Amino acid sequence: MSEQKKGSFLVDTFVFTKRSIITIIRNPLIFIPNLIISLFFLFVYEGGLSGISELPAFEGANYLAFILPVSIVSAAIGGAGGAGQALVKDLENGYFSRLLLTPSSRLAIVLGPIIAGMLQLLIQTVLILVVAYFLGLEVAAGFGGVIVVLLLTLGWGLAFAGYSVGVALRTKNAQSAQAGTFVFFPLIFLSTTFVPYELIEAGWLKVAATINPTTYLFEAMRSVFIDGWEAWPLVRGFLVIALLCAITISFSAISASKAVSAD
Amino acid sequence: MDGSISVQDLVKTYKGDVKAVQGVSFEVAEGEFFAFLGPNGAGKSTTVQILTTLVKPTTGSIRIGGVDVGEEPERVRWNIGVALQETGIDPVLTGRELIEMQARLFGFTKKEAKIRAVELLALVDLNDAADRPCGKYSGGMRRRLDLALTLVHKPKILFLDEPTTGLDPSNRKAIWKEIKRLNKEEGTTIFLTTQYLEEADQLADRISIINQGKIVASGSAEELKRTLGFDAIQLLFELDEEAEQAGQILVDVGENIERSKNEVTLYTENGTKLLPDLVRKLDEHNLSPKTLNVKPPSLDDVFINVTNEQKERA
Ligand SMILES: Nc1ncnc2c1ncn2[C@@H]1O[C@H](COP(=O)(O)OP(=O)(O)OP(=O)(O)O)[C@@H](O)[C@H]1O
Ligand SMILES: [Mg+2]
Repeated sequence: MSEQKKGSFLVDTFVFTKRSIITIIRNPLIFIPNLIISLFFLFVYEGGLSGISELPAFEGANYLAFILPVSIVSAAIGGAGGAGQALVKDLENGYFSRLLLTPSSRLAIVLGPIIAGMLQLLIQTVLILVVAYFLGLEVAAGFGGVIVVLLLTLGWGLAFAGYSVGVALRTKNAQSAQAGTFVFFPLIFLSTTFVPYELIEAGWLKVAATINPTTYLFEAMRSVFIDGWEAWPLVRGFLVIALLCAITISFSAISASKAVSAD
Repeated sequence: MDGSISVQDLVKTYKGDVKAVQGVSFEVAEGEFFAFLGPNGAGKSTTVQILTTLVKPTTGSIRIGGVDVGEEPERVRWNIGVALQETGIDPVLTGRELIEMQARLFGFTKKEAKIRAVELLALVDLNDAADRPCGKYSGGMRRRLDLALTLVHKPKILFLDEPTTGLDPSNRKAIWKEIKRLNKEEGTTIFLTTQYLEEADQLADRISIINQGKIVASGSAEELKRTLGFDAIQLLFELDEEAEQAGQILVDVGENIERSKNEVTLYTENGTKLLPDLVRKLDEHNLSPKTLNVKPPSLDDVFINVTNEQKERA
């Protein structure tokens, strides 16, 4: 009877995504602290550091627009990391095996939490942007610029979600998966986080900022907030993110196929 | 695809040279109830995980319903229901949500999934808890929900890895009844692992005893008991003298006879066959026992015997 049945990738993905969203909604503690920390960043840095934007290197830019990408990106890390955390929980309580025993698409099993994480991240980012708007944010590139920022954030989130899912499937325990997320703190802070490149004093930090992909993400977002439409920072930003996604998503796909055939 | 299982020379060596399964072969026919019996660490769960596509074998060939597990795992998954030793349940979702989701993954429409959930919740007696998060369920409730999830798509073959461990006697009996019904009425092939000898004895058509990764005995419960040797006929008399007299009369009836006080125990290959002859002989001497019992050796005896033999040899 069930012999001729074929699985539907779309139905599977929908079912897994819906389930991940329900899980997130029922555990608001998973994302609320992270969101609060990101907003906290925004208030504190804007309140405490905005004076430095008087320096000529800022070329008259508003410090709020300058620091906003840092807040958005750090929130994105928490949101995307949730995808890996969710899989670790499934692995630990045995539900992952139950899912592997269904004929559903293996890709859909890991895609569900990733898509849910992306949606969460989108909502978070919009919230942060709304708060920034009330703090006086003006976007030089207009509404289109906001869309670009959302796309950049999603791309960054996807790259990080791929990474967190890969680490989760490999380590199969919550502590290691959590430890894996620490990689991203240096990525945020060893960059043009608080001041433009020209103002970074230490030579080693200049080097770090140059090779750090996050720098190009910050620069792309800042260009639409502060300068309007400029091709080069955007091209560079999207290229860097595409490259990162390619690496981390392959990493998670390979990890997933390994997790399926335990040895 | 039918309901048969065929395993040839299955070997599984885990990392670190852990030889979990060392060359196991067996066949289960469609509609048969097969039990895998063995002590802790014997390799039962490893075998289940390999047969159900979760773990790759080191070597060996496995066909489920004629389909090669390594080549077409997805086709196999459509037709099997698996309850692993550790229940697999998401604590955040409710029992109903879990069943509905499982049904959707097996190709049910939303509506069909809802109907199936109602049926299954009633079957495993979880109506009252259906809309509570499973994280709050008791161990026994979790087991029953896990079983419901296993049955969602009405699989042709059921793999049950110690399905009644941790259940109270009444729940255990209820599960036995349902498994039996699925086997007898729906013709579902059952592969059950258990440490309850009583369970295998009562339910299974055929039993294989596995120890240290190898099958050490196979057959029906009756056959296994017979391999141990003999039935025991136990006669209890009113007086010790009667027992003594009976002992003398019956000395050439069985293979072996033992007497203590008012009790005579006779060991013989087939107790029931011998019984009429025995009663007639006693009657001729005007002896009638107070009670008379024919006891096959228990499966316990077989199990302990077979697994101990192994240990001694190793
Ligand atoms: N993932 C694994 N990695 C390494 N060794 C394993 C793994 N799973 C099982 N083993 C080992 O394989 C052997 C057989 O284990 P298995 O779980 O199959 O036994 P079992 O018969 O199911 O025992 P029990 O009755 O306790 O459930 C054991 O020595 C066990 O330690
Ligand atoms: Mg086991």
